[in-house]
Amino acid sequence: MNINRREAVQRVAALMGGMISAPAMAGIMGQKTNQGTFVSFSAEQVDLIVAIADVIIPSTKTPGAKAAGAEKYILNVVQDCYTKAEQDTFYAGLVKIDADCKTKTGKGFVQATDVQKKEALTACMLEGDVARKAKKGPTPFFFMIKELATVGYFTSKIGATEALDYLPIPGKFDGCMPLDPKQKTWAL
Amino acid sequence: MNLNIDAIKSITYDAIVVGSGVSGGYAAKELTEKGMRTLVLDRGKQMEHITGYEPSYKDPWDFKYNGLLTQEQKASHPKLSRDYPYNEMTEKYWMNDSDSLYKEEKRFDWFRPNIVGGKSIMWGRQTYRLSDLDFEANLKDGIAVDWPIRYADIAPWYSYVEKHVGISGEALGLPHLPDSEFLKPMDMYCVEKEVRKRIEKNFPGRHMTIGRVANLSEAKQAQLGIGRSACQYRNKCRLGCPYGAYFSTQSCTLPPAAKTGLLTLRPDSLVSEIIYDAQKQRAKGVRVIDTVTHEVKEYYAKVIFVCGSTVSTTALLLNSKSNRFQNGFGNDSGELGHNLMDHHFKIGASGTWEGDEDKYYIGRRANGIYIPRYRNIGNDKRDYLRGFGYQGSGSRQGWNRGIGDLSFGPDYKDSMTRPGPWSMALSGFGETLPYHENKMYLDPNTKDKWGLPVVVFDAEFKENERKMRKDIMNDAGEMLEAAGLKNVKAYDNGSYPGMAIHEMGTARMGRDPKTSVLNGHNQVHACKNVFVTDGAAMTSTSCVNPSLTYMALTARAADFAVKEIKKKNL
Repeated sequence: MNINRREAVQRVAALMGGMISAPAMAGIMGQKTNQGTFVSFSAEQVDLIVAIADVIIPSTKTPGAKAAGAEKYILNVVQDCYTKAEQDTFYAGLVKIDADCKTKTGKGFVQATDVQKKEALTACMLEGDVARKAKKGPTPFFFMIKELATVGYFTSKIGATEALDYLPIPGKFDGCMPLDPKQKTWAL
Repeated sequence: MNLNIDAIKSITYDAIVVGSGVSGGYAAKELTEKGMRTLVLDRGKQMEHITGYEPSYKDPWDFKYNGLLTQEQKASHPKLSRDYPYNEMTEKYWMNDSDSLYKEEKRFDWFRPNIVGGKSIMWGRQTYRLSDLDFEANLKDGIAVDWPIRYADIAPWYSYVEKHVGISGEALGLPHLPDSEFLKPMDMYCVEKEVRKRIEKNFPGRHMTIGRVANLSEAKQAQLGIGRSACQYRNKCRLGCPYGAYFSTQSCTLPPAAKTGLLTLRPDSLVSEIIYDAQKQRAKGVRVIDTVTHEVKEYYAKVIFVCGSTVSTTALLLNSKSNRFQNGFGNDSGELGHNLMDHHFKIGASGTWEGDEDKYYIGRRANGIYIPRYRNIGNDKRDYLRGFGYQGSGSRQGWNRGIGDLSFGPDYKDSMTRPGPWSMALSGFGETLPYHENKMYLDPNTKDKWGLPVVVFDAEFKENERKMRKDIMNDAGEMLEAAGLKNVKAYDNGSYPGMAIHEMGTARMGRDPKTSVLNGHNQVHACKNVFVTDGAAMTSTSCVNPSLTYMALTARAADFAVKEIKKKNL
């Protein structure tokens, strides 16, 4: 029945509908956080972040991460909430996915075709999964940017009100009712 | 000169209340309604009802970090940022760590609000009555001291405050968890309804009910009449409620107090000392430091209610020294600062629920379920004393459930826009024994920015709590498994005193002035015109959330105090 503490925290967070990110997790797990001087993002880096986020959450029947401006949240959190070590991992991940894409296709991630982008991000994801299983160091880059893009998107106005059902003042509570086929996940 | 007399008149009241949280607000309401000119002093900033709850009006996209803390906030709040109550949204409700210096011989998480209304704004709102199982426990177990009151003494006062506050819940008729005066219970999720049936069938004697909570599931005249309205199920309670739909000082006790015309409220007023009049052998008033200007003032009254929240209350008493009270105000017993307690928690189990995919919910219920204590009751005997209850909740996983999965792209996005599987979690809250050696004291050599000695904590959970935690974890897993949950995981995330923010004791009630600080009316044994009616008064912790008991004790003590004044005994 016992599981390790990190899994337990993750599980409970997920079950309670909560969101526990790497920095919050660091706090819960009692890890020390490092203070570092942050170097602001270059325009190229911002473009790269936007492009990756838009592959994670693309436009479908509803607008995607780019249209929703999800990168604002991503930049805010990386810049202000991440520890130095997490920022380093994030930067290294950005550099690597772009460089790998160039090596393979001759084009940077932003310029790559949709298929090439998907391949590059899949490779990044699988690397992240290997690193995660080794359980060393901070959350791998893929899971960082996936979390950031997901939270940034679904808490944006477009994400919350168009991709999800947003009901700021429900006015009532019914805990056990039939699921309407048109019902989307509640934004809140 | 007349001037001096007038000046003294203008700073003299019938009653002074230190603190404006759950207890202080209640004291203000009761004292003013009984005709007392009352001065309420709070060290926090003014927090206006409705207009003050700015974060509660925001949409998710109005927040920069969706609630996360920045590295800067973590650096400026190394202690407060240890847990969830302090976050992007609640930043202005709490004190800066630099203004709230304290020392830890052993870790203690001290959450100090910086607003009028105190923690009545941010509290969890779970409200349960204590019973004679609690009031008789110390006597039966032969530990600490006996409570000077029994359930019968406080039961009418529970009823009295509950009718005003508005408690939503379900009557169970259990002697060890007496029913409140209930508004209609909130609904359960389908999974909770089924889990309840299965737990009650598989474990005779155990019950599961909807949480008893100080949120208005319906608004009656007592609430509508003071400008409150029913819960809108936004689940933003901790940011302050513009609907006044849960109990806070601002929604519930200040309006009736203000209506009497007898209330004066002073924010930014840090009470540093209770002034003792040796000749009259009574407290004369209080010394106050303006937290902004650092100006020192004195106020006088016939009676003083100390309701500063457990640790701050006792810090004030310890700092109030005189020839009569050389070791702190009312501290003839030497018990002041001792028997510091908090509930231990962060332990339980969770699992996933297969089925009910065709069921959903509407509204965000700011409440969960509750499993009342069943251990060490009747014939059940464990290898530890006392017991625990569980809070918990069913939930249907949302758009954040796939973050750790190996997926991205259109399928990932679309699947997140559909509700995920149901799940259910239980989280225990355990009683902590009163240990004399678990204590707080003042360090005279370290001062805060107002020149007051800082608090030092030296308290820990011990063997009894550790043994109880094994049961809390195992029972939670067992019940969920028996109820048909899958992938059941039990967890113990570790618990430190303070974090439950149910800090209690340090100026305990008791029958004997030699072993306790307060009598059965929350009156300082050695100085009858000073009352302490917050968590500091608690003689034991029970395992239930304590705030309702503070309200009832406060209303009871205020009634007693005013009667004593009228009888000229005070």
